[in-house]
Amino acid sequence: MKLVIGNKNYSSWSFRPWIAMKATDIPFDEEVISLYVDGSREQILKHSPGGKVPILIDGDTHVWESLAILEYLAEKFPSAGFWPTDTKARAHARAISTEMHAGFAALREECGMSFWRPPAKRTLSAAAQANVARVQEIWTDARAKYGARGPFLFGKFSAADAMYAPVVQRFIAYEIDVTATVKAYMQAMTALPAWAEWRRGALRETWVIPKFEYDWPQVKRLPAEAA
Amino acid sequence: MKLVIGNKNYSSWSLRPWIAMTALGIPFEEILIPFGTPLGNPDFKARLAAYTPAGLVPVLIDGDVHVWETLAIMEYLAEKLPGKQLWPADAKVRAHARAISSEMHAGFSALRGECPVNFRRPVRTRDISAAAQANVKRVEEIWGDCRAKYSGPFLFGAFGAADAMYAPMVARLSIYGIAVGDQTHAYMETMMALPAWGEWRKGALAESWIVPEDEADWPTVLTA
Repeated sequence: MKLVIGNKNYSSWSFRPWIAMKATDIPFDEEVISLYVDGSREQILKHSPGGKVPILIDGDTHVWESLAILEYLAEKFPSAGFWPTDTKARAHARAISTEMHAGFAALREECGMSFWRPPAKRTLSAAAQANVARVQEIWTDARAKYGARGPFLFGKFSAADAMYAPVVQRFIAYEIDVTATVKAYMQAMTALPAWAEWRRGALRETWVIPKFEYDWPQVKRLPAEAA
Repeated sequence: MKLVIGNKNYSSWSLRPWIAMTALGIPFEEILIPFGTPLGNPDFKARLAAYTPAGLVPVLIDGDVHVWETLAIMEYLAEKLPGKQLWPADAKVRAHARAISSEMHAGFSALRGECPVNFRRPVRTRDISAAAQANVKRVEEIWGDCRAKYSGPFLFGAFGAADAMYAPMVARLSIYGIAVGDQTHAYMETMMALPAWGEWRKGALAESWIVPEDEADWPTVLTA
């Protein structure tokens, strides 16, 4: 299998299936496409008519959209535990994953994902603050209801954690104030070897996308050695 | 099972699981909580809070399981009622159905913003932005590709979850008189000929609530 992704520093959508596969030891080749430069769209269209990363390629099956990729992997690798085995917990996991997939627009707009951004606070709109509150509520609720058997949302690592991984990085990069429970969850995520591997790759990248740099033309970034 | 929905005239999200369940003959009790006006009114939020923490319709209730988000509801129904074939049986085709359903779920924001679902509005052409036109082009490409590959009349042959996900898009293209190709038009006709479509539409037209945010011609409210 091959996973086609965008820049590791910026591409929150790409991060999701990548960390899901790494954290559950599903082997794959990766192809990284530098986004928003001449030719990148054509390169993506070669793999997917949707024109977006990530794309999973398994033989002649091409799957786009992070959620659809996770469902495909869940079916192909049932033992990887992408979704909780209990029906009620699984429905809950899918509901919050889907809520992430289409929601939290203000937070995503105002706190673009960036691994190399030196953590610093940013003034958030009321809408983004409401997003932050809802995310914390989701994590806290899942941890309380289903998280007894491990440090992740449903105990052991699942597709729901992968869907929220970029939000964990946003909370870090923009120094969002969080509760102790949320902080503990974020630490469980950042302690994953897969997390460190992605971050290392992100910090070593040299492709800068101006529209995602809030201090443009200045690019504030942690040194690659920080990883 | 119970399905909690918003106004039939406006709630595109609610239409999806409702038409999926109705068209596939899955019995359920409907609980309609009107948005009222203005949007986000305290009564709607208070009544909905009894069913979901996310504050959004639709919500499917099956015993002590409460599922929100349309795609999650589709997955829940697909697992619970495998005989209803919400997703195609072949793994590769199923992956395709899920990809386009997810693409719908998170995309086409320009078209959705400019052409809100509003069954009451008589068909009247509306000028749309270049971004919305690009959305229309992509939707036509998705539908055309599916119907060519899997022989129609629905996206994957028989009616399924992917059709339900795109049902509000059929309504938008129709209501705002968007120019589309013959193949797209044929698919829209197929969808609008479903008895479930007629039933939902009848319910929508019987509603009297007006939501200004979803009236594209506001302060004019076009009615048939």
